[in-house]
Amino acid sequence: MADFFVPEIDPKNPQRHLRVLQTEFGFRSVYDSVSFCNRCGSCQQVCPTYALTGEEPFSPRGRNQAVRLAAGGKLKIAANRARLEQVVNTCLLCGRCTQACAGKIPTAQHMLELRRALRNTVLPGLLQKLLGWRSRRPGLFRVVVRTGLCLRRMGLLRLLRGCGLTRLAALRWLEHADDILPRRINSSDKTFWRQALKESPKEPSLIYLPSLEAAFFMPSLAAGVLKKAQQKYQVQVWEQVSSGLFEYVYGDLRQSRRLVRRLIRRCARTGTGSLPLLTDSIDVYLFWRRAPQLFDRWPQLARQAQAWADRLVFVTELFPKTPPAATAVAAPVRLDPAALFEREGKPFDQARQILKTHFKKNFVECFYRDADTPAFGYAFVRGNLSEQIFLNTVRTVARTQTGTVFTLSGLSALELNEQLRRFYPQAQADHLACLDG
Amino acid sequence: MKIPSSVLAALKKRVGVQNVLTDEVSLGLYAYDCSLSRTRPDAVINLKRPQDIPAVLRLLHRHRIPFVPRASATNHAGSCSALNGGVILNLAGLNRILQINTQEGWALAEPGVITGQLQERLAPLGFFYAPDPASERVCTLGGNLAQNASGARCMKYGGTIDHVLEADWVLPDGTEIHFSRQDGGPDFIGLLTGSEGTLGVLKQVKVKILPAAKHIKTFLVTFPSLAHSVQTVSDLAARGIIPRCVEAMDQMTTRAVEEFAHAGYPLDAQGLLILELDGSPAQIEADEKQLEEICIKNQALAFIPAKTEAERQKLWFGRRAAYAAMARLAPNVMVADGTVPRSELPRALEKVRQILDKHHIFASLLFHAGDGNFHPQIVFDERNKPETVQVARVVKEILQVCVDCGGTLSGEHGVGVEKRAVMAYQYDKPTLDLMARVKHAADPALLSNPLKLIPVHYAEQARPAAELSGPVQALAEEIKRRREIRVPCVPVGRNTRLQTTARNTLSTQSLDRILEIDKTNYTVTAETGVRLEELSRALTEAGVFCSLPPGKGSLGGAFASGCVPEFYAQVLGLHALLPDGSCVRYGGKLMKNAAGYPLTRLFAGSQGTLGLVTQLTFKIFASPVSVLAERPFRPAGVNPLWQALKKKLDPEDLFPAPEGVVYG
Repeated sequence: MADFFVPEIDPKNPQRHLRVLQTEFGFRSVYDSVSFCNRCGSCQQVCPTYALTGEEPFSPRGRNQAVRLAAGGKLKIAANRARLEQVVNTCLLCGRCTQACAGKIPTAQHMLELRRALRNTVLPGLLQKLLGWRSRRPGLFRVVVRTGLCLRRMGLLRLLRGCGLTRLAALRWLEHADDILPRRINSSDKTFWRQALKESPKEPSLIYLPSLEAAFFMPSLAAGVLKKAQQKYQVQVWEQVSSGLFEYVYGDLRQSRRLVRRLIRRCARTGTGSLPLLTDSIDVYLFWRRAPQLFDRWPQLARQAQAWADRLVFVTELFPKTPPAATAVAAPVRLDPAALFEREGKPFDQARQILKTHFKKNFVECFYRDADTPAFGYAFVRGNLSEQIFLNTVRTVARTQTGTVFTLSGLSALELNEQLRRFYPQAQADHLACLDG
Repeated sequence: MKIPSSVLAALKKRVGVQNVLTDEVSLGLYAYDCSLSRTRPDAVINLKRPQDIPAVLRLLHRHRIPFVPRASATNHAGSCSALNGGVILNLAGLNRILQINTQEGWALAEPGVITGQLQERLAPLGFFYAPDPASERVCTLGGNLAQNASGARCMKYGGTIDHVLEADWVLPDGTEIHFSRQDGGPDFIGLLTGSEGTLGVLKQVKVKILPAAKHIKTFLVTFPSLAHSVQTVSDLAARGIIPRCVEAMDQMTTRAVEEFAHAGYPLDAQGLLILELDGSPAQIEADEKQLEEICIKNQALAFIPAKTEAERQKLWFGRRAAYAAMARLAPNVMVADGTVPRSELPRALEKVRQILDKHHIFASLLFHAGDGNFHPQIVFDERNKPETVQVARVVKEILQVCVDCGGTLSGEHGVGVEKRAVMAYQYDKPTLDLMARVKHAADPALLSNPLKLIPVHYAEQARPAAELSGPVQALAEEIKRRREIRVPCVPVGRNTRLQTTARNTLSTQSLDRILEIDKTNYTVTAETGVRLEELSRALTEAGVFCSLPPGKGSLGGAFASGCVPEFYAQVLGLHALLPDGSCVRYGGKLMKNAAGYPLTRLFAGSQGTLGLVTQLTFKIFASPVSVLAERPFRPAGVNPLWQALKKKLDPEDLFPAPEGVVYG
């Protein structure tokens, strides 16, 4: 793009940052990418935080300009850390701004870059360790999650926060843990997984990489996905795979790279290098599709990552193309396209088409400003604005008298169900893969 | 400038600590709008309650702190940047729609209401708000009023200026005034619409809403040249068919759009029109037949009606995607804005293309063919300073072309800071002087959005004043003479409305010429002493019609007396003699003009108290139209803005008020 010096936000720590971003119009440096913002303001009204505050620092345009000023050296990060953290951490990473933007500016990615520059993304060691148990000690991880949920329900976290103890360096990780931990989990069925793993075919035609929620919190989701996948493929399940997404959003980019690289190598090592890879979480799917941008400094790895990303398949592709008989439902249904970073593309179009085909007139289209669930999924933001954003979501569901909201990520479904239970119990949320499951 | 801490403390006390921002990040983020202009304010105040506006302005006025009102800041001309530092008043929090009355056809709202949100609220009620700027999903009613915004529907329904019924306004010193279109006296609402925040802050607005059309039909038509497409629009107007929207683009734009949006636009044509008709099904059918006939006559290459709603949306998708098609090509898109008389559109567009080619600049050309308003969208990279400077220079050249073609430098985006210098190219010194005096009258301390709209040094660069015709020259001399001997002037036409018995009248009976009946742009230019019945007769002979009541009075009387307020919207340009004998010239055959204060509205209904209107240009129609209602003469109500304007424009009271009006 520009043939002049391209500034970086954090030039002293290049390894902590992405050198290029994979945008709709090709790879661009962060500065190039942020410079494509023409400040037209088309993103303002779709941003849930701007809609609530009406303030520029809480708008996508303001956030992009903050990155640009910081990269250009016009805003000193050290001197403005507290305010910048507020600007960055209120971003829900929902990608609604990118959808509305003519230049498709990836504001959410810019925010992660600024978070990395602010060094407030590094997960505390203990939490990192707990997350690491996902793949190495899943049983223990399950126990820790359940204990955490139990303690939170008992009000321990509220008590600690009230006393100001969570501000102590040793306990600060609890805030992160609270962010990441879903509010409620469905019962876990160990026998299902044991059965699924035992039935693993010797010559698979598809690899299923269940998401964290499918593996630990929503076995019904994994069952739904497997049922659909097995109609078409010989499915091999790789249990407890760390996607690297939590690390990408909350933690160290290097750790995220490591986890994705491990996964790519595992595919190569096990001789499944050409099989399609299925995931059930739209967040993970979108993150993995962008895997090449993680390895920009290593061309060979980037090529491998590209080949690997091209094999990814989302659950929407498992649905038959010919429409089945219409499902008789009394209440309308809608699709909640909440996802990390972006909200348009093939999986979203397919999901919409599936629901339209199934529910015909009972399918309610989302209006461009409809509040869906931008605060759910893998980027939990529980700042001051979250409660109002949740309420707006429920309000939209209630206004359209929706009976079922289908999501593309299990965590979104879990979180939304919890909110609906509190404020509008007439409706429920479920993952699209559980449709007819 | 540095804002004293005591003032900040007082502001915080008034609006809340969290609503006064002075941190470096916030100031950096309120330094820009959608233009190239960038200046950091000294503080930002988030106004969340309308009642805080007067109190905050009083406080700022007391300490002589400049301020810039803004909300979404989507302006393309730099109207929202704080050039002198000072305070940004963020009105985005005042976003409540207070009342919608479908019986009487109005909506009452705060200035921060998003235009698109108002449309969303009105749609289920079967109503709509006619002004439709392209940015309606993000721009606010307050911003629309400040810029006199309009959009694709302007040809049929007019711009924001024609749809504001009442406004609660706060002058820069904190004085609150309620303006209504029902008031006598000058059309203050019209004057404030398009003032770009330089005359105060809008507190609340009542806008007109209209029943939504139930039947709409959209057509895509392509032509071998732009001239053919523009001729088609003129022919439509000649048959009395006013489409709901007439959008157009040239071949280069069509190709860029098609490559991006795949809207199915034919690529072989030089000119492309998207037309939309509304009305009853029978009327649409009749209009469609005539439209097809006209298009064939003008050598249309393709005539494609949208048969389904999906097809209609597809046609519009291409047009809406024009900005996106450019935005992906380079970091920045400068959306320029110029308006010329419709008949001049092909010539102006050809010249613009030549300029762009000469400088090797890639730009799309979109235009609202119905009202001669075009938008070159230039792609560039603002990080590349030489390129940015060149683009700014090219935009200036384009605007000069507009002015040379009898047009204006802005149809809907305003002047702001980026077009400020070109104002001197468009207007002569007396006209710019008048605008400066209007600003000084409303804002003597120059605090409200300072240094915008009016060029800083224009005395030498201003356009040379045109020579006055004999009778006008004589009247100007007479005004100067009376001024010297301190004898008042009471402008009188046929004295049918004012019915004054004053002795010191200044008759316009010598100004009795109809200067031009333009059947391409559908305008007539006439001197103000022309009798209405004569005018009506002349127009009928020419096969055109106007909506003025064919009474015995004069044209100037109908305009200045305030007896036919609906006529103001049809007046496109005027010449007037001021109390100092100078002659101002504003507007012309332009359907849109957002360059400077709308001076036609200042003199409309002014009852001869601000000067003598000598010439008017106004709209005429191809088919008979209903005659506008005439109301009895009503002396103007007194308000602080008129008092200030009168003192500034006519300090010696050379043009006294009719009996019963006291300026205070």
